[in-house]
Amino acid sequence: MPPLGGIYKYFMNRRFLNLTLSLLSIVLFIGIWHLCTAVLQIVPSNTLPSPERVFQSFIKKFTNPNPDGATLIQHTVASLNVALTGYAWALLIGLPLGIIMAWIPLVDRFVRPLFDLLKPIPGVAWIPLMIVIFGLGIASKAAVVFFSAVVPCVLNSYTGIKQTKDVHLWVARTFGASNIQKLFTIAIPTALPHILTGTRVALGAAWVAIVAAELLGATRGLGFMIQQSRGIFRTDIIIVGMFAIGICGGILTTILTWISNLLLKGRR
Amino acid sequence: MKRLPSWAYGVISIFSFLVFWAVGIYFSEIKIVMPGPWQVIIGFLRSFIRPIGRHTMTVHILYSLMRVVPAYIVGSLVGVTLGILMGWYAPVNAFFRPIYELIRPIPPIAWIPISIVWFGIGEGSKWFLIFLAAFVPVTLNSISGAKSVDPLLIKCGEMLGASKNYIFRSIVLPFSVPYIFSGLQVGLAGAWATVVAAEMIRSSEGVGWIIISSMDTNDVTQSLIGIMGIGIVGFLLAIIMRKTEDYLCAWTIREG
Repeated sequence: MPPLGGIYKYFMNRRFLNLTLSLLSIVLFIGIWHLCTAVLQIVPSNTLPSPERVFQSFIKKFTNPNPDGATLIQHTVASLNVALTGYAWALLIGLPLGIIMAWIPLVDRFVRPLFDLLKPIPGVAWIPLMIVIFGLGIASKAAVVFFSAVVPCVLNSYTGIKQTKDVHLWVARTFGASNIQKLFTIAIPTALPHILTGTRVALGAAWVAIVAAELLGATRGLGFMIQQSRGIFRTDIIIVGMFAIGICGGILTTILTWISNLLLKGRR
Repeated sequence: MKRLPSWAYGVISIFSFLVFWAVGIYFSEIKIVMPGPWQVIIGFLRSFIRPIGRHTMTVHILYSLMRVVPAYIVGSLVGVTLGILMGWYAPVNAFFRPIYELIRPIPPIAWIPISIVWFGIGEGSKWFLIFLAAFVPVTLNSISGAKSVDPLLIKCGEMLGASKNYIFRSIVLPFSVPYIFSGLQVGLAGAWATVVAAEMIRSSEGVGWIIISSMDTNDVTQSLIGIMGIGIVGFLLAIIMRKTEDYLCAWTIREG
């Protein structure tokens, strides 16, 4: 039976099987979740709400400011506002610092030990100190974000510049290029892919830092929302918040990837 | 000036930073809240003898490490196993990928509230968080390690009559080791940052507790002592990891 054989062949190829497996895994995941919570009620709903409940809360949270005083959109905007402020400062200071450190050996020797000293300290640890210095407002949180995001900015622009090929620099010197010309026309373009990777890593770090800062002290923001919901055992809103954090992080990274692909067009 | 050894620059750099700090404190209003550098350094050294809260610095660090190390090891083992299998066997990848992609973008810190609901405020929630902090990057790197095996090597193996299992054991696994190590490195830094955050939210000992209790008592010196402790331990962990990597994969050439 050739037609049936054809159908069989069509359905049994590798790609189709893998797609089925992926769908199966999602269905199984949500199915087991649903079964344990809504049907069998093995886990109480304030420990793990059913998937429908989470979905409903997600839709409702867009317009409903209860129970924590702001809608999902307002929380997201608040978090983004602080995260991007800190991130912008990290780019403004981190990228030039990394480039200068890699280009001028004397600066490298002086700044590197200090940088190595501050590097392993996670951003969260700065929170109390930043609150003392900058107060409780947006500035202290932005500073925490800055500390988290500046490290990958410096590291990546440093490695990027260091990868400039000596031959290229020799050619430039032969043709009488000045030091500044060599930096801007050879070293920085060479380093650009690395620098852009750094900005991506830094954006991820900034997003994590803002959530952490908001868990500890804030009146608005996604981190504040999930921490607040824990206090009143609204697990559905915690899960909504976690997904919102994940989705926002994903969108930010995608936008940045898109921008860097645009900038790097035709380079690789 | 020209031929100073490199450590001399480090000493000069750190010393001038401390002097800058001390002078800044002395001449500005900030001295009301900020301690000077010597005060912090002496306080840090003294914290090994005289307890902060109920424990000395050593005990606090040991508490934090006790939370990090077991969960980190379990998380890495699961991550390496799952990652290699996902990178090498397409059906495994197809099955676990959607769930992994669901978990991956959520930072471990965002799990803190729900982990407290699920596992209570004890050690369980911290182990869970650190497990996640290690598991996610290690899996990601193991996948890309197993995926980027040079196809030529595999074809050579097949041509010489190696079985699938043999190729997996003697080509794919060794090839992935450098990738796995960079995942382990990222995971360790993440785990250390996560334990600090978790201890800051809820705990009664550990390095994160030093920081958060300083916030409650408004003791900036203690906060800076805690930062020093966290930084030094984080630095040592990274060094240990790097040395292990150098020892285990002496045959790789690290790029960059």
